[in-house]
Amino acid sequence: MTIKGKAWVSDNYVMSYDMVLQKDWTSPINKEENAKWIMAGVSDEFNQEGAFRDAGYTFIVARHNFAGGGKSIEHCVTGLMGAGIKAVFADSFARLQFRNAINYGLPFITCKDIADIARTDDELEFNPSTGEIKNLSNGKSKISVPVSPFVAEVAEAGGIMDFIRKRIAEGTVDELR
Amino acid sequence: MTITEKIMAINSGRDKVVPGQLVWTNIQSVMTMDYLGTETFKAFDSLGKSEVFDKERVICVSDHLVPPPTPAFATLLNQWREAVKAHDIKHFYDLGRQGIAHQIMVEQGHVLPGTLSIGTDSHANTYGAVGAVGNAVSVSDAAVAMATGKSWFRVPETVKFHITGKWQPWVMAKDLSLHIMGMMHWNGHLIYKTIEFDGPAISDLGMAGRMTLCNMTVDLGAKNGIIAPDAKTAAFLSPVQKGSWNYVTSDADAVYEKVYEVDVTNLVPTISMPDKLDEVRRVEEVQGTKFNKAFVGTCTNGRLEDIEMIAKILKGKQVHRDVNFMLVPASTQIYLDAIKAGYITDLIEAGVAVDTPSCASCAGIHTGVAGDGDIVLSAGNRNMKGRMGSKNAQIYLTSPAVVAASALTGVITDPRNL
Repeated sequence: MTIKGKAWVSDNYVMSYDMVLQKDWTSPINKEENAKWIMAGVSDEFNQEGAFRDAGYTFIVARHNFAGGGKSIEHCVTGLMGAGIKAVFADSFARLQFRNAINYGLPFITCKDIADIARTDDELEFNPSTGEIKNLSNGKSKISVPVSPFVAEVAEAGGIMDFIRKRIAEGTVDELR
Repeated sequence: MTITEKIMAINSGRDKVVPGQLVWTNIQSVMTMDYLGTETFKAFDSLGKSEVFDKERVICVSDHLVPPPTPAFATLLNQWREAVKAHDIKHFYDLGRQGIAHQIMVEQGHVLPGTLSIGTDSHANTYGAVGAVGNAVSVSDAAVAMATGKSWFRVPETVKFHITGKWQPWVMAKDLSLHIMGMMHWNGHLIYKTIEFDGPAISDLGMAGRMTLCNMTVDLGAKNGIIAPDAKTAAFLSPVQKGSWNYVTSDADAVYEKVYEVDVTNLVPTISMPDKLDEVRRVEEVQGTKFNKAFVGTCTNGRLEDIEMIAKILKGKQVHRDVNFMLVPASTQIYLDAIKAGYITDLIEAGVAVDTPSCASCAGIHTGVAGDGDIVLSAGNRNMKGRMGSKNAQIYLTSPAVVAASALTGVITDPRNL
């Protein structure tokens, strides 16, 4: 099954510090609430309540080290999910947020130079089975790096919390190694 | 195998692991702290376990919000205290016994060589200083580990920095950290890697310097930084360690993705330019630049050796009248030791303001935050816009020695020229 939607393409390095401003670090983790201010520091147009969410993007396209700068808080990921983001494509991801994305089952998909074939508001189509990212607005496409079986398994379970909840309920935590 | 690979193998019940492999490992200690702690316990409570995996190995610390600067933070701290109490956590370092979580974890012996510990703050990489894998995680990961005693890891490729030569006067581990930042770039090649430091110049470093080096590996994008345990590690841990441990070190035939060599004989006082951690200069290149705020503290440079260094420079002298200098020791223990050694008296007499341990202005929350137009010379770890408060402040990052030398003159000063 493919995912289709509009992309926001970053022409700059996107830092976790700009995705979640300092004043929001202490907020409870809640997709709907976190979506109100996600990306507020990334550009002036997003620095209003709900601005990024209401722009209606399905994908983010970025370059190197997406969500870098060092925050480990998962608000970066819950905020994006609450804002309707279904996948992020980039040359590379900062590992703290890459881990959070895996834990929440939000596809952070590695794809070299993907930002070369997309502009903000282009319509993209992503096929998770083949890894193809197609730009429907200009006909160009790229093949992304496949996700590992563990990443798929966690996503399938609905995220790491549900993945563990199920094992605790079944008494199979000890089998994890 | 490299030390990180061996630690992941041993703690996941395997004989061998290879980079790229996914493993669930046992966790020695799980740390969470004030501003995320209540959320962490809430997440834990939702998992279906009535008690944490080991009440001695979930470590709770108040560091970002203490002492509370606003009623909202005071309320958040009260909720946090309730949550810690409700879960019967044995090691709670709250205001009065507080410190920066990463300092507490190592200083109080909660991190043991050859094991893995995680914390809900990015500078958990600091734990590598005692030969452990230290990793920063989210609230969800911490909750999972609290419930199960385990966490998942992708075994990282190892990049080695072999450090040789003789440390020169006034040159500190921080200068090496920043030098490597300049070599490798913040946005660069070390994402997901483990960084292993070894060589004679690493053996010569005390635990404080080793902590500084491992601490800033997260800012290189790495998964962890690590230094194999030696006699200094054992001596440091012996009075405080919470459990026994074994020496785990890299095998002679360990495979490294890359090995870099740095000779510290040629290393000079080093500084990062505002907004860009990897735009690194020799201090002598920017000498004479005016600034108005000086800050020493943080999980990077708030230790006794750092305070000793600035006291040595400032004792019997006066901080320049155009400079506000704040020192915030990284823990209550360090603060006490610095008082007993006479450093705090020397520094207060020199015109340094000293505050109770916390993350202070490094997290931009309280205790000397930066305002519009401020030019800060900081011994902390990050200098992106807004890190210490206002986005209209500039932050230079450097060593405690450079901060202290510059505080005397009011302009950026190479301590070798004093």
